[in-house]
Amino acid sequence: MSITTHRMTFPLSASDARTLRAGDQVIIDGEIIITAGLPTHARFLDCLDGKEPFPMDLHGASLFHLGSYSRETAGQFEILYINPTTSTRFNPHMPRLIRELQLHATGGKGGLDDASAKAMQEAGCVYLSFLGGGCTLLSQAIEEVLEVGWTDMLTHYRVVRLRVKGLGPVTVGIDAHGNNLYTRIHEAAQKQLMSGV
Amino acid sequence: MAITFEMIKQVTAQLYERSLKQIPDDTRQALVQASSRETNETGRRTLQIMIESADAARSQQSLVCSDSGVPVYFMQIGTQAQFDGNVKQAIEEGFAELVATINPPLLPHVTNPLTLERGYQGKGMPITTFDLVDGADYIDITCSPKALGSGRWAALEIFSFPDLPTIENFVMETVVKAGSQPCPPVVIGVGIGGSFDYAAKMAKEATLRQIGTINPEPILVDMEARLLERINKTGFGPMGTGGDSTSMAVHINYCAGHGFTPVAVCFNCWINRRTRARCYNDGRIQMLE
Repeated sequence: MSITTHRMTFPLSASDARTLRAGDQVIIDGEIIITAGLPTHARFLDCLDGKEPFPMDLHGASLFHLGSYSRETAGQFEILYINPTTSTRFNPHMPRLIRELQLHATGGKGGLDDASAKAMQEAGCVYLSFLGGGCTLLSQAIEEVLEVGWTDMLTHYRVVRLRVKGLGPVTVGIDAHGNNLYTRIHEAAQKQLMSGV
Repeated sequence: MAITFEMIKQVTAQLYERSLKQIPDDTRQALVQASSRETNETGRRTLQIMIESADAARSQQSLVCSDSGVPVYFMQIGTQAQFDGNVKQAIEEGFAELVATINPPLLPHVTNPLTLERGYQGKGMPITTFDLVDGADYIDITCSPKALGSGRWAALEIFSFPDLPTIENFVMETVVKAGSQPCPPVVIGVGIGGSFDYAAKMAKEATLRQIGTINPEPILVDMEARLLERINKTGFGPMGTGGDSTSMAVHINYCAGHGFTPVAVCFNCWINRRTRARCYNDGRIQMLE
């Protein structure tokens, strides 16, 4: 089966997200927001509960589980590198974030569970798999650091808005139609294991 | 003549830096072979990007992965080796100096498990174990930094007089549980027998064996082949988005024990971080990989 590579402008719209199919590849241009922090995700939920304001506008964002090394010199932030982290750590947080912020793209590595996939289907959102160990290549795509939020947190926990050009290719691991490659493969492997193959 | 404090400090820091910026040659070769065999197109492309990523990090002296892990060293000490200075302190200072000088700088991954505070230092860091080599006038130092992505999925279970299928099924259950998450294709290390602590160490050491080398125990040669075939049929594939390259190698160590048999399983992600050097009493330092 042949796969399709799309070049798309981010933040991804719901209609663009819905054109993608699990297994496709995407090259990213435009604006993305990244963080790798578990405490950051807990704090996002606090923001949804009105306990504090979001560090930047996340509505309709393309929010990825990518960590970054940020450094402030002369009042300006530079990002030395970015790289994905394991998304399943955020399974408990993502359904609410996807629904209430109307995210149309999320991602990282390792996938999300079916509760997130269901929220993604409702919101018109895809999950994109970045290359773990892709630090050097992924970082070359950074064009501009637009915003760094929650600088009181550790560098990889901060919320960073970036403009990127040619980021990827990344793989659509979960599409907006409920197709979750991760759970599908996992279930097949589990079945194989039970049958002793 | 002796192995000095300065030698150990410099070599351990250098091994760590190298392990972050280049993947071992055998691993690159295994990825190339996997990409020529992989039947899933997305998986094949992912393997090719892995190779590009590793090559770019090496040529630009940048990091392959931002999760630089925590420092883990294995020291094999020749009984004829002579030391001039403190060994543990040298490793500690070497790591501290590396953190202060490495470019690009490292993220703070050393975590206090009781408070979840993170930094570059902590109790027991760097994690170092020591073994003896009879008669040798050198020490071998292996560095294998451990990061979260693959470190999270290791498992150990203790069985009573298990047969081989029971052991193999436990390995498979652990692999399926880890699934798409440890950045496959992985190197899998298995330790069978001994005691609780020793099985885990054998498993970790098994991941450090060069890909393509033959296990000296014939029963394990067959077990490694059976497991590798089963694992690559699970379908997880490169980065877990599908394919038949889920593992580059399964390496198994064993040791005699009682009838209770611990089986430990651990993973190295596709980067398979591993560097090694030998320091001699006469001051020579040989980079082995």
